[in-house]
Amino acid sequence: MSDLDKAIAQLRACRPIPENQVKELCHKARELLLEEGNVVGVNAPVTICGDIHGQFHDLMELFRVGGDVPDTNYLFMGDFVDRGFYSLESFLLLLCLKVRYPDRITLIRGNHESRQITTVYGFYDECLRKYGSANVWRHCCEVFDYLALGALVTGASKNLESSETSYTDAGTQSSIEDQDIEIEILNSNSEVINRFPRSSRDSQLPPKSSPLSSPILDTPSRIGPVGTGATSSSGGSRSNDGGAVLCVHGGLSPLIDTIDKIRLLDRKQEVPHEGAMCDLLWSDPDEIDGWGLSPRGAGFLFGSDIVKCFNHKNDLSLIARAHQLVMEGFKEMFDNSIVTVWSAPNYCYRCGNVAAILELAEDGSNGGYIPRSNGDLGRKQEMERDLRKRDPPGRRYRVFEAAPQDSRGMPAKKPVADYFL
Amino acid sequence: MSLPPKSNLSDLLSSKLATRGRGRGRGLGPNRGDERTDEDKDRIVQKTDEDASVSRMSAVGLGYLEDPFTRAFVKGQIPRRYPIINRGTYVRTTAIDTLVNRFLAQRPSEPKQIISLGAGSDTRFFRIISKNQSIALTYHELDFPTNTSLKIQCIQQSHGLLSIVQAKLKAPSELSISPDGTTLTSPNYNILPMDLRNLSQNQSSSHSNPLLSLSNFSTAVPTLILSECCLVYLSPQYADSVLHTLAKELFPSSTALGFILYEPIRPNDAFGRVMISNLATRGIHLQTLKKYSSLTRQRQRLLISGFESGQGASDVDFIWNNWIDEAEKERIANLEMFDEIEEWRMLGKHYCVAWGWRDGADNQPIFTPAWYEVISQDEIEDDIG
Repeated sequence: MSDLDKAIAQLRACRPIPENQVKELCHKARELLLEEGNVVGVNAPVTICGDIHGQFHDLMELFRVGGDVPDTNYLFMGDFVDRGFYSLESFLLLLCLKVRYPDRITLIRGNHESRQITTVYGFYDECLRKYGSANVWRHCCEVFDYLALGALVTGASKNLESSETSYTDAGTQSSIEDQDIEIEILNSNSEVINRFPRSSRDSQLPPKSSPLSSPILDTPSRIGPVGTGATSSSGGSRSNDGGAVLCVHGGLSPLIDTIDKIRLLDRKQEVPHEGAMCDLLWSDPDEIDGWGLSPRGAGFLFGSDIVKCFNHKNDLSLIARAHQLVMEGFKEMFDNSIVTVWSAPNYCYRCGNVAAILELAEDGSNGGYIPRSNGDLGRKQEMERDLRKRDPPGRRYRVFEAAPQDSRGMPAKKPVADYFL
Repeated sequence: MSLPPKSNLSDLLSSKLATRGRGRGRGLGPNRGDERTDEDKDRIVQKTDEDASVSRMSAVGLGYLEDPFTRAFVKGQIPRRYPIINRGTYVRTTAIDTLVNRFLAQRPSEPKQIISLGAGSDTRFFRIISKNQSIALTYHELDFPTNTSLKIQCIQQSHGLLSIVQAKLKAPSELSISPDGTTLTSPNYNILPMDLRNLSQNQSSSHSNPLLSLSNFSTAVPTLILSECCLVYLSPQYADSVLHTLAKELFPSSTALGFILYEPIRPNDAFGRVMISNLATRGIHLQTLKKYSSLTRQRQRLLISGFESGQGASDVDFIWNNWIDEAEKERIANLEMFDEIEEWRMLGKHYCVAWGWRDGADNQPIFTPAWYEVISQDEIEDDIG
C-alpha cells in the first residue's frame, strides 16, 4: 500500500494526516494542477457535484450514492471548505483522490477557496485547532490558487438510457418507457422518483417566450455533433450528442463573452475582489434582464438573456454551477439552459435541505469517438448566425439526505448550529 | 491573525450535557432530553442568556452594534460568530430598540416604565440611560436568581455600569443589593430574582409578586413589557398565564400598556423542523413555538391578551429589508464578507418581532402615536400552523 493509499484510507476514516504529509500532498497537487488550463476538458460520463463545505460525512454519503472513485468520474465545482466541521478532512481527501486518480476527478475553484473567506467562515480556525499552527491552512491556500476556474464537459449523451431500477411508486411508471428520457431523478437508493421525456422542444422550436426567438428559427437547421461541422437539417440520422456543458462555481461575468476569454485569465492568485475571475466564482443567475448588482457584494446577478446569448455564442447546451443553496438539491432555470447543483445536505447542520449530484452519461452513438476535450477546436462557426437553442444532455439527478450521525463507525459528535436564543 | 474557535460555548454546553447523559444510563436513545430533571431544564434555559450575550459581543466587536456595556458581561476573549448570526443579532437589537425608542420619545418628560422579562445580561437599560440621563424612566428586570446574581456581580465589578446605576442617586443608600446578591434596587433600576412561572394566575398574589413590594413600581404609568426570547421557553399554559396576569391583573385596564415579543416562528418547514431538533439535543425546548407559529398567531395572541389598540408582527428578514435604511444596510454590508444570502433569508424568516398595545384611559394616547407607523408584515404563504 503506497503512502498515498494510506493517506486516503486515513482520511476516509475522517482522521487528519500529519502536517508533513499535507505539505507533500499539496506540493504534488500543485504540480498536477499547474498543468491544467483555466478551463479543464472533461469527457462524459461524469458526475457533477456542487458545494461540499466541510460536511465530510455527507461527502461519504455522496460517494455511496454516486459510486466511489475511481469507478465513477467526478467533477466538483468548488466550495470544499468552510462552514462544516470537517473542511480539512474533506478537502484533503478530495486532493488525495485527485493526485491518485488525476483523470477520474476534477476539482475547480469556489469562492470559499480563498484566504480571505476561509478566515471568516471556519477553515482557518479549523486548521489552527487541529494542527496548532496555520501551516496547513497556508499549504491548502497555495493549492487553491492553482485550481481551475471552470470545466467543459463534452461527449455527453442527449438521452438517458432508462436505468434498470424500480420506481418508488409503481403507479407513477408511465408510458414514457419507449420515449427518450431527458431528465431522471433518483433517490439515494437509486429508485426513480421522477422521469421526464424530452419535450417537443426537440422538434427544434424554442419556447415562444424565449427572448431569442426570431424568424430565422423557422428555417430547419438541425446541427450535427460538436466538432463535426455538419448540419443535418435533412433529417437523416438522429444525433445523440448532448452538446457541451460549461461548469463553473458561480456563473458568468460581464467581462467574459467567450470561453476563450476565461482561458486567457491569470488564475494563479488569491481570488480578487472584482473582475472576471471574481465574477466566475461569485455571480448568481436571477430572474432579471441583463446584469444586476449582487447582494453578496461580489460578482453579479445575470438574467436569462445573458445565459442564452452566452450558451449560443459558445455552442453550449447547458451551464452547470453551484454556489447557491437550493432546498431540493438542484434547480434548472431559464428553459433548462442553466442548472444549480447543491451537494451539502442539511447545510450547516441547520437548513433542512436535500442535496443532489448530476450525472451526465456518455454518448456511445458515435462509435466511441470522443470529441476533442478542449472543445474549442472545430466547433461550429455557423452557430454565430443560428439562434436555435441547443438541446442539453440527458440529466440524471441523484438526490440524497444528510448522512446519519453515527453511520459507518464515524465519530458521532453532533455538530451544533447557532440560533438566536 | 488569531481567531478563537467558534461555538466554544455551545461545544462546552453539549459536552456537559453528554457527560450528564452518560451518567444516567446508556442506550436510552434520542430522547435523552426527557430524563433531565426540571432543574436541569431550567439551568439550560438560564444558560441561553450566555449564548445571547456572546452573540451580542461578537456583533459589537465587529461594529454592527454600538454597546460599550456588553463587554462587562462576557469573560475572556471576544468571541466571533458567523456574519449571518451577527447580522441577525443586529436586526433583533435594532428592531426592539426602534420600538422602545419610539415609546420613550412620546411625551419624553412624563414618567414611563419598562419591565424586561428574562432580561439576563441585556444592556438596554444602560444604553438608554447613557444617551439620556434626564429621562423619567424606571426599569425593572426579572430573571432567575442565578442570572440576576451574575448580572449584579458584573455591575459591581464594572465601573462603567456602576456609575450609570449610581447617576440618579440622591444618597448612596438608595442603591441596595440584597445580602444574597440576587436583588438590586435603586430609584430607577431594579433587578429582581424570580421564576416567571410564579407570575401565572394560580401562583400570583400580591405576596409573591416582588414587583408589588417595590416603592418605585407603578401600576398607573405607561408601561412597556419586553420578552426577548423568554416566554417561548415556558409551557403554553404558563406563557399565556403570565401574559394574562401582566396585562389583565397586575395593571388596571386604564394603564397604557405595550408588549414586545422576540421569538422564533414557522416550525413546520424543513428549516423549522431542523431547528427544533437541533435545539432539543441541547436540551432547549421552544415550548410555545407550535402554538404561536406564525405572524398572524402572534398578533392574535397579543389581541386576545388585551393589547386591543393595535398589534404588529414582522419577521427578521422583512425587518432587515423594510425597517433599515439603505445607508445603514450598506454600512452593515461593508463590515464583513457576507456569503450567506439564501441561508440568511431562511434564518430571518424564522424569527419575528411582535408588538401590541392598549392606550388605556389616557386622553392623550401614548402607544398609538409611537407605533402605528411601524411596518407590520402581511402574512406570507401558508405558514399558519
